[in-house]
Amino acid sequence: MTRSSISALFILLLTASLAFAGRTACPQFYVDGVAPDFVNRKLTPKTRQLCNDGYGVEHSGLTRTPLWAAERLTRDGLQRAKGLPRVNSFRPDPRLPVSERAELRDFARSGYDRGHQASLADQHTEASRDQTFFLSNMIPQDSDNNRNLWEGIETAIRNETKRRGELYVLTGPLFQGNQIQSLKGRVMIPTGLFKAVYDPARREAGAYVVANAPGMQYQVVSIAQLEGITGIRLFPSLSAKIRNNAMRLPEPRTYQQRRGGNQ
Amino acid sequence: MSKFTPYADESASIEIGSLTVENRLDRVSIFGSIDLTKDQEGLALVLALKELIWEVASELEGMESAGVLPQEVEVEQTVTIANPFK
Repeated sequence: MTRSSISALFILLLTASLAFAGRTACPQFYVDGVAPDFVNRKLTPKTRQLCNDGYGVEHSGLTRTPLWAAERLTRDGLQRAKGLPRVNSFRPDPRLPVSERAELRDFARSGYDRGHQASLADQHTEASRDQTFFLSNMIPQDSDNNRNLWEGIETAIRNETKRRGELYVLTGPLFQGNQIQSLKGRVMIPTGLFKAVYDPARREAGAYVVANAPGMQYQVVSIAQLEGITGIRLFPSLSAKIRNNAMRLPEPRTYQQRRGGNQ
Repeated sequence: MSKFTPYADESASIEIGSLTVENRLDRVSIFGSIDLTKDQEGLALVLALKELIWEVASELEGMESAGVLPQEVEVEQTVTIANPFK
């Protein structure tokens, strides 16, 4: 085989793998319209893609949680998100088979919060805000983490979006270690969470990684590092240079810290 | 707040200012922060908050009078399973 036919084959294979990775019914939430792809093939059974008005979800019937939620945040969208009244209902996702989905009773009396992956406050229509309350968008999340560190990370990303103009965001759970805790043997409790972002204007990306536990400890990692943890190729269309360099991300602060009060 | 009946379901969630209120069978969770400003908005918010707190209190007091309020709620133990992705 000649050198040029080898490189032609390589390009063909690369295109084929991107074509596979890119299969999504809601390309508007993904960088270059290309959805993440599974590197760890054990993640693939019982996965289903769900498209909502304001975000896309890859749901796993093994964990009964999302594996990621995808959003494209813009300054304009977030400005429109302000001041909407909120009366909402957590509920199972009727689009999922009963055998694969979480039910409200799974979370009952567990002590765990139902943690949004696509954040409610990112959404700017009544319908899209309502759709963040599907359990297909929820993980069992430590309540201190959900209400303090994670809320701080969500707020930091919204502030970065207002500053930069546009960010693609992927949010999801981490399942590390040989054993996992679960609610009733049905809904897997993530060991951690990630929030990965890409700034298309500055062509830089990075991610927050936190344990699903109390406290304010977090890490900022590159997309390549995060892909090593998740087994998911998160932004398949980005160059190696962007994937290997973690962008600077702001320190998440709780609402008390943001208001200048004491912790 | 007709839809929010404390402890009746795992579904209802309301926002009072920037406070989030979530209904659970074993608890009502309230988190976030709020300014009760000395104006019309502050009055509306504090009345909503007062109604919520009153409803929670009357439910718990009713259970206490009936002798069915436990000393402490029991949280269900989690179940250990093998990581299917390993």
